Amino acid sequence: MDTQKFIDLFAEALDIEASDLTVETEFRTLPEWDSMAYLSIIAMLDEEYEIQIENAEFKTLKTLNDIINYIEEHQ
Amino acid sequence: MKLKMGCAFNPFSLEGKNIVISGAASGIARQCAISCSQMGARLILLDMNEEGLQETLSMVERPDEHFIGVLDLTEKDKVKEIVALGVEKVGKVNGLLNCAGISTTLPLNSAKEDTLDKFFKVNVYTGYYLTQEICRRANLSEEGASIVFFSSVAGSYGEAGKSIYGMTKGALKAVAKSLAVELARKNVRVNSISPGVIITPINQNLPHIADPEKRAVLEAQHLLGLGQTTDIANACIYLLSDAARWVTGINLFVDGGFTAR
Repeated sequence: MDTQKFIDLFAEALDIEASDLTVETEFRTLPEWDSMAYLSIIAMLDEEYEIQIENAEFKTLKTLNDIINYIEEHQ
Repeated sequence: MKLKMGCAFNPFSLEGKNIVISGAASGIARQCAISCSQMGARLILLDMNEEGLQETLSMVERPDEHFIGVLDLTEKDKVKEIVALGVEKVGKVNGLLNCAGISTTLPLNSAKEDTLDKFFKVNVYTGYYLTQEICRRANLSEEGASIVFFSSVAGSYGEAGKSIYGMTKGALKAVAKSLAVELARKNVRVNSISPGVIITPINQNLPHIADPEKRAVLEAQHLLGLGQTTDIANACIYLLSDAARWVTGINLFVDGGFTAR
């Protein structure tokens, strides 16, 4: 999986700079993270990776790397 | 006509504000461009009609300060590209008037899928795409912004043959309300405006205005007579200005009393 592409897509969904993110970023601590950001990421995962993730599962993910691992496990 | 201000206090000033106006090559949008420039705004004027845009540019105050972008607003990638160029010249955006649109009078049994697609693309999608683009961090002023969608009395009141036009204009009212809720956290106000029948250079030759009998019916429906483009431009100035800083999610009827009955 192309990690940089995922980071770019994540940044675009939240309208933030990709250079501010790393795989270790704990996305819930970002100032831009809110319920709308959550919905944007859910939509991006569905559209770009055909991943549908339940809220309960998503709540267990903390870093971008956690999301990347989830995608790799479910594709 | 220049507005004369009697004193320095002017909560409607657009000095220091950068305003995007779609459909600016003619009609109400052209008047909005002229009026906003008179109130001090710098403009990003968008339309697919280059000749019309150039003519609008020749009519506004301080033409060198503004940017004109020739594009088909239904092409999302092009919107992104042109808005970026406009922001580069004029600066980050404080206001957006989503004026671009088309009208028709078409009975139910004559409406084809292509017609529906075309009307939703031009009347609804264009404003949505443009709003998406303006609200990106790279384009949006740090102070926030005021966005106005151009609905119509036809979006709230029925008239034979206006189902297609009316449903697109009704959609714009709905878009404005939800975006008002969604974007308040970014200090972006979103409203819609619903004009009654306005006389423009284009529609004054159309049957509903040019035919004296049909015009008389319309005039009877508008308690204050038919509107002028400046009536709508002045309302837009209000919504764009800091005078409306506490106004979001409304649909403002500017209709000479059409909806009063």
